[in-house]
Amino acid sequence: MKIKDLIKQDVGFQYVIDNMELMSSAGRQAMLESTFLTDHDAIEAAWRNLDEAVRATNDTENRRSYTDLRHCLMQLHDLRGTLASLASHTPLNEVELFEIKNLAMLCAKASVAIQGLGLAATLPLPSLEAVVALLDPDHTGIANFYIYDTYHPRLGPLRRELKALQEHEGDPQRIAALMAEQNDIQAEVCLRLSDSLATYCTPLAEAMRQMAYADYLLAQAELCERWHLSRPHLGSDIRYVGLWNPRLRHRNEELGLRYQPVDLSLEQGVTLITGANMAGKTVLLKSVGTAQLMAQCGFYVPADQAVTTVFDAVATSIGDEQDEMNGLSSYASEITKISDIVRRTRTERLLALIDEPARTTNPVEGKALVQSIITLLEQCPSVSMVTTHYGQLGTNCRRLRVRGFVEDMANVPLTPRNIGLFIDYSLTDDQSDDVPHEALRIAAILGCDAELLHLAEQNINQKQ
Amino acid sequence: MPFLPDILQHRSLSIVGLEKNTGKTVCLNYILRRLDQLGVHVGVTSIGVDGEQTDAVFATAKPEITLYNGTHFITSEQHYLKRQVVSSIEYVDSQRTALGPMVTARVLVGGKVLLSGAASTSTLRRQLRQLSDMGCRLGIVDGALSRLSLASPTVTDAMILATGAAVSASVKQLVSRTRFLYNLICLDEVDAARRELLSPIASGLWGVADDGTVHDLGIASAFLIGRSEVDLLRFGKTIFASGAVSDRLLRTLTSKAKGITLIARDFTKLFITPEAYSDFVRRDGRLLVLQRSQLIAITLNPTSPQGFVLDSGSTCNALSDALQTPVYDVMKIPQE
Repeated sequence: MKIKDLIKQDVGFQYVIDNMELMSSAGRQAMLESTFLTDHDAIEAAWRNLDEAVRATNDTENRRSYTDLRHCLMQLHDLRGTLASLASHTPLNEVELFEIKNLAMLCAKASVAIQGLGLAATLPLPSLEAVVALLDPDHTGIANFYIYDTYHPRLGPLRRELKALQEHEGDPQRIAALMAEQNDIQAEVCLRLSDSLATYCTPLAEAMRQMAYADYLLAQAELCERWHLSRPHLGSDIRYVGLWNPRLRHRNEELGLRYQPVDLSLEQGVTLITGANMAGKTVLLKSVGTAQLMAQCGFYVPADQAVTTVFDAVATSIGDEQDEMNGLSSYASEITKISDIVRRTRTERLLALIDEPARTTNPVEGKALVQSIITLLEQCPSVSMVTTHYGQLGTNCRRLRVRGFVEDMANVPLTPRNIGLFIDYSLTDDQSDDVPHEALRIAAILGCDAELLHLAEQNINQKQ
Repeated sequence: MPFLPDILQHRSLSIVGLEKNTGKTVCLNYILRRLDQLGVHVGVTSIGVDGEQTDAVFATAKPEITLYNGTHFITSEQHYLKRQVVSSIEYVDSQRTALGPMVTARVLVGGKVLLSGAASTSTLRRQLRQLSDMGCRLGIVDGALSRLSLASPTVTDAMILATGAAVSASVKQLVSRTRFLYNLICLDEVDAARRELLSPIASGLWGVADDGTVHDLGIASAFLIGRSEVDLLRFGKTIFASGAVSDRLLRTLTSKAKGITLIARDFTKLFITPEAYSDFVRRDGRLLVLQRSQLIAITLNPTSPQGFVLDSGSTCNALSDALQTPVYDVMKIPQE
């Protein structure tokens, strides 16, 4: 899976990608095309590269090189089309030759800056001196380009004559003839240069690729700094201290609201998450999903401390309005996703994130479905996180409960706006097989109709 | 040598035509030749596709633009490759247009080029800055069909208006249409204090009270004015329209009260007809702008694309009399 596909998953990874500050469209492309890594060594290697980039960009001694490199990357154009033409021996025109010359000169400048940052081993750039020599035959060192007189013995005399004629308003026919001859020679030289340059297709493409990657890596390092992300480590399971959700945290900060990071560990098998409505169960699933996608794409993660493990994929079933828009009922859409997850766990090691399965169908069959999902997911090597409002499921999987409403604050008048202040989002191990019964209380706080509430309470009391 | 000294007072110049085939390119060629003789370093760019060898609308032969040694120019890759000059590429934009990326180059041996330009005024502003950075003392923008936006004082410092037989075969019509646009170009500016107050407002209609305070009238755009119940005059009779001014806005105001003052950003934001404007003025309405464009000259092309030719002398005189400003026949200037 590539990042451009992963951002479509409903966990909020898109928000991370949207916040990446890349200098060039080539860098953006490199980011979107980079893959979800499933190899232990590849992930470690990606993190080591980021370690290096973070170290280099934070070193104030390197400020000048850092600015130089960013300036180079800003000027990077996506020349993959031109390079493909070159590789297939399609002659390049002057504008394309200018672009190639610029790339080669940019590569030399970027090389110096990368050296200055001490990143030469992380971002090795090929030498394109031979390309520069071809396109700067007069050794001017200037990035301008035209078909220089040096390229052809006839060009100099021809242009001198043309210039003299232009200045003295000479014979227009002679001018046209000379101009035509000049254009023919220019075309001939373009052809010759394209031929010679074809030899350097590989290093040119490599320079393009590495500079685009440099842009991506620098943007990752910058995000680590801006968001205070932490370097994860690989272990046998997942352990987060102070995990946070980027989008929600930033939104809360903007509104001046409190945000509470959570500690969490997940092991092979199912972890059942219970908690009152509004206690942040769905956000928790999304936070875990985002952090995992970030980690396996070579990013640092939004937590104070993070140990994670390698999965083949992150699979989710989180309420998604999109499917409903496409004509599937919420139940149909959900069961399709869950069934897919269950099937995949037979051959893949997944991080499966399932939000309130079977919540839209009748509680008898719904509960049976949840019990079966848990049983199947318990047996496979995947790590699964399932949230639910169903109690008495009779399964003995691990259970975590979001602490939820803080009782001793109940005397303060609650409003829909300040309700978040009275929720403790932290998780606690839960031995019971029941779930919190706070739905009516929350409904009351949200200003639910009094008669409706009263009736509901009566119904509960009658049952008891 | 008419109007050259005026041009040199400015850093950027736009040439806009009242219609297509009003002789913008002839005018541009004249200016380029005179500036070359004066040794002024010029940069040329354009908005929209222009400078085609054959006119896209009427398919008539159209003069190409002649550039001299040392001139900088910006055109699309496709038109760059068709140039009849020797030139060195100095910059290629990463943004692509339908005709490839925009190429900035310097002329080494003069000749003819085809100019095609970007579509937005923000790109144009960036290009003018770029030309200035490359040492150009003056940046000239060649206009395209029905594009007035480039003449906004927020884009170019000064403008030349090209008119001609293409506008109308009747001298009377030609004079009246040219005079209307000329009047809009020459609208009075508000005072400096009000300009400072109103310039930063990005959108909507605003009431300007007598005490100098401004109030949002709650209407996002003048085009949304319909049978709106909102009292537009609740803060007084001075209204500022941040964006476009339409006939509908003018008519609505005309119907509300006499003696209304309407402030527009500049003349390029006025999408109004002579009829609506004269009704507005008859009811003692005043139209002002935040910033006025510097009109350097009006040029006339007496030949229409259909081949009809007006009498140059009498038409120029009729226009000069009506506008009280000199009008030049573009076909005759180059021979002077």
